[in-house]
Formats: sequence, structure tokens, C-alpha cells
Amino acid sequence: MPEPSSTDQGHAQNNSAPHADQTTTHFGFQDVPLEDKADMVQDVFTSVARSYDRMNDVMSFGVHRLWKAHFINCIKPHAGERFLDVAGGTGDIAFALGRAAEQDARRRRLPIGSRADVTVCDLTPSMLVEGQARAQRLPNPYPQYETHYSWLCGTATGLALPDRSFDCYTISFGLRNVDEPQKALNEAYRVLKPGGRFFCLEFSQVVLPGFDRLYDAYSFNVIPRMGQAVAGDRESYQYLVESIRKFAKQGELEDMMRQAGFEHVSHTNLSGGIAAIHTGRRL
Amino acid sequence: MSQTSRDVDPALLEVLVCPLTKATLTFQADSNELISYEAGLAFPIRGGIPIMLESEARPLEERERAKPKANAAPA
Repeated sequence: MPEPSSTDQGHAQNNSAPHADQTTTHFGFQDVPLEDKADMVQDVFTSVARSYDRMNDVMSFGVHRLWKAHFINCIKPHAGERFLDVAGGTGDIAFALGRAAEQDARRRRLPIGSRADVTVCDLTPSMLVEGQARAQRLPNPYPQYETHYSWLCGTATGLALPDRSFDCYTISFGLRNVDEPQKALNEAYRVLKPGGRFFCLEFSQVVLPGFDRLYDAYSFNVIPRMGQAVAGDRESYQYLVESIRKFAKQGELEDMMRQAGFEHVSHTNLSGGIAAIHTGRRL
Repeated sequence: MSQTSRDVDPALLEVLVCPLTKATLTFQADSNELISYEAGLAFPIRGGIPIMLESEARPLEERERAKPKANAAPA
């Protein structure tokens, strides 16, 4: 798989390039044709699939694990619920949801077979293959409540899943990579049952004064070099850094969620806004 | 273990719909494809993973486009 050639030039300078019309979207700091973004994102993740989790550890000093743990705590998965994890890649969120649901079943001494169902949807087949292989190696402390995982390749903007079929939709570090985030939110709303819950964990805008400059310096100077050192892939990590800056701010994302139809929309900042959890409900 | 022949999850097959039209799909076991007659596309299944991307789907040929009747005898 060739490295994405898209970040070869002028990445940090054309920050303010205007959107000429609706047929382009962001790919990092570049405007690219809408129909190309999915392929370009897929190239990035195909090239980082194997080292993805390790690289996240290195980049965030392990903090992404704390964010994800907090994310699962916010969700409070229940036995018997149907979860859809979009951009679920190698399954780390899916497995955490499944494990929490199994623990819930055990705590409440539910009948044998009270299990959760987690569907993982991702754009990149190699991430799903990795996830599927990991699922087979999972420890299985509660076989009577064993979660059922299924794996499917698809886009967040065109889910191959029926209306009103899930209790909970999660997307963790994924919405930023979607070519049309509003469409993805509309689809999330569509597949949720009435009463269904939406949770998004994503990089966001740093809200602490002073910290933002330090964070910028780290992001643009250090992370791409780490990408080179750990994964041998500077361009993909350069893309990650740029895409974070281009993504909707906390309030903007809330507005988009309301636009999709969600109610009880709110967000919680993590680590001063480096990341944020957005939640909403389909009523 | 990762490259053994892996069948697609039957529970998943049952729920999947066409990503474009949201209509139900027909599983074609011999070609291992999911057919959307409404969209005229066949979505492949690779390594047990349904690939529900328009860009990866095969356009149906003219002779494949007629939706089999529900009561037709299975081949």
C-alpha cells in the first residue's frame, strides 16, 4: 500500500484554505475532492493498522487508554444491549463494551445467555481482520454471558444496517476522519432505537489558556517524528495531527448533533479539551 | 488462525441492508455475495467480513438483475 501522497506539500501553511464549494472536504489541511477522502483515509489506516494501538500509546503517553476507560464508564453498558461501534477498527472499544456488559450481567445475576451484541463497522478491512483475530484470543471469564461480536466493512455515512436497530452507537476517534460528519450523525440517529444513546469520543479544542500553544508545538513538531520512529510512517501521523485541528469544535459538534435530531446533547472535556465526549439521545 | 476459511456471521447476514437504498439484501452463497437488486450491486464478503462499500461492489449484469421470486425453488 503506497503512502498517501497527499501530505507532501504545504501542510501547515494553508490552514485557512476556504471551501470553494460542497464538493471538497478536509484531508488534514488540504481540501480534497469529496469522493477521494474515503480512499485517502483508508490508505492512512491501512498503513498504520498493525502499529496503531502502540503508536497511540506513544503519542498520548498512554492517556488515550484513560480517555477510553472514561468513555466506557460514561456509557455504562448493560447486558442484552445492542451496540454499534463505528470506525471501531481493531475492536478496543468493542471489547471494552462487551466486557462491561458481561460484568453487568454477572453483577445482576441475570439468566444464562443474557449477552450483549456488539457490531463493529470500519472502513478499513485490515483493521477488522486484526480485530477479528483479537476477538478469538480474548479472555473469557463469563462464558455464560459471552458477548457476540460481528464485523463489517462500511462507511459511517452509509451504514448497511436497518433503522432503529441499536440501543447504543459509539464512535471513538473516528468522526474526524469521516468525509461528511453531518451525514454520519444522521445515520447514527437513523439506526438508533427510540431512547437509543449516542457517544462520540474525539479530539477536540484545547480550552486551557497557554496549554494550547504547548499542545500545538508538541503536535506539529513531535508527533510526526514519533510516527516516523515508531511506525516508519511520518505522513500518516502528520495527517492525524492536521485532521485534529480541522475538526469541529465542541459547540459546533453539538449543533451538528441537534441538526441530526439528537436531544439531551452535551459534552465533557477530557485533559483540558484535548479530547471530548459528546453524548445525545434519540427520543 | 487468521487466514482459515471463515464463514460470515449468519446473525449479521440477517440484519444487513443495502448501504444505499436500505432495502434488504439477498445472500448468494455460490458467489459469496450480498445482492442489492434495488441498487443493482453485489457486495463481496472477504474473510468472513461483508464489504458494504459502493466502491467495492460489483454492478449486476443484465441477466442477474431480475429479483428471484420469493417462492422460487432453491437451486
